[in-house]
Amino acid sequence: MSLLERIAHPDQTKAWFGEIPIQNRYTVGIAGERFFREIKDHGRFWGTRCSHCDLIYVPPRLYCERCFAHLEEWVEVPTTGRVHTFTVVPLDLDGNPLPEPRIVAFIQIDGTDGGLVHDLGEVAPEEVCIGMCVEAVFKEPAERRGSITDIRYFRPVG
Amino acid sequence: MKEWVYDTVYLSEKDFETGRVLYETWVPNARYAWDAGIAIGRYLAELKAGRLVGVHCPSCGRVLVPPRMFCQDCFVPIDGFVPLQDTGTVVTFSLCSVRWDMVRLEHPLIPALIAIDGASPGMGILHLLGEVDPQAVRVGMRVRAVWKPPEEREGAITDIRYFKPLE
Repeated sequence: MSLLERIAHPDQTKAWFGEIPIQNRYTVGIAGERFFREIKDHGRFWGTRCSHCDLIYVPPRLYCERCFAHLEEWVEVPTTGRVHTFTVVPLDLDGNPLPEPRIVAFIQIDGTDGGLVHDLGEVAPEEVCIGMCVEAVFKEPAERRGSITDIRYFRPVG
Repeated sequence: MKEWVYDTVYLSEKDFETGRVLYETWVPNARYAWDAGIAIGRYLAELKAGRLVGVHCPSCGRVLVPPRMFCQDCFVPIDGFVPLQDTGTVVTFSLCSVRWDMVRLEHPLIPALIAIDGASPGMGILHLLGEVDPQAVRVGMRVRAVWKPPEEREGAITDIRYFKPLE
């Protein structure tokens, strides 16, 4: 029984395996309720406007992040935008190759100071460019459940 | 809170079930592997073989259990493993009438700190007492490990079912 006995093979090491059961539940909040119900019921985007800073937030915020004012002015905004930045994702969350690469983009919504992170669709990765005009493609109304996945993806306009 | 969403600051399970509030839910993958290291790795392997081991400090001469790689009093590396008995003495104990998740237990669990024979005074492990009337447990009581049969052992502290009083 000496400490000079070295571990010669990884099988000799002892690891303790376990799993922590966790379930997350994220409520979308007051502004999120209105934003996602508009998507679910009407396929529209709404934002909130700060008249002091002249900013339109999408997704809507209840407070202006710049001046901390309570925002009560709701405005309908287009479901179109421009690719602000994007990346091509070849692997899933577990690191396994995807059958088709995903194109994830930050889309700045037209006429607003905000944007959404979402997939791009109906476009090849090599065709995507920054500044590209895109529009939201919604699921059928019956399939929508008040979630960001009620938008299937954004696709190039025209 | 805004009247058009929540009429209360609290949400009930029904609010989620009936779709009154929108939410996202997901189950994160929280699997983990904790590397037991050399000292605890050996400890667990010896438990599987039905033995308790400690380590020896060359500086103060104490025998420490559970095993560790250095003596926390002397800050020197330990110089080897020492076989111990599977008997010991109750140092302190508690009667526990609720489970970890606050479920009431019909028969209380009796977690105890047990000083292991062969280790230095006060050196011991935390385990459960069994085959004993909770009212009869005393500090200083002599106890012995009750092991699982060899084929059920997996290299865990639960390879000892509990400690029971020595006759």
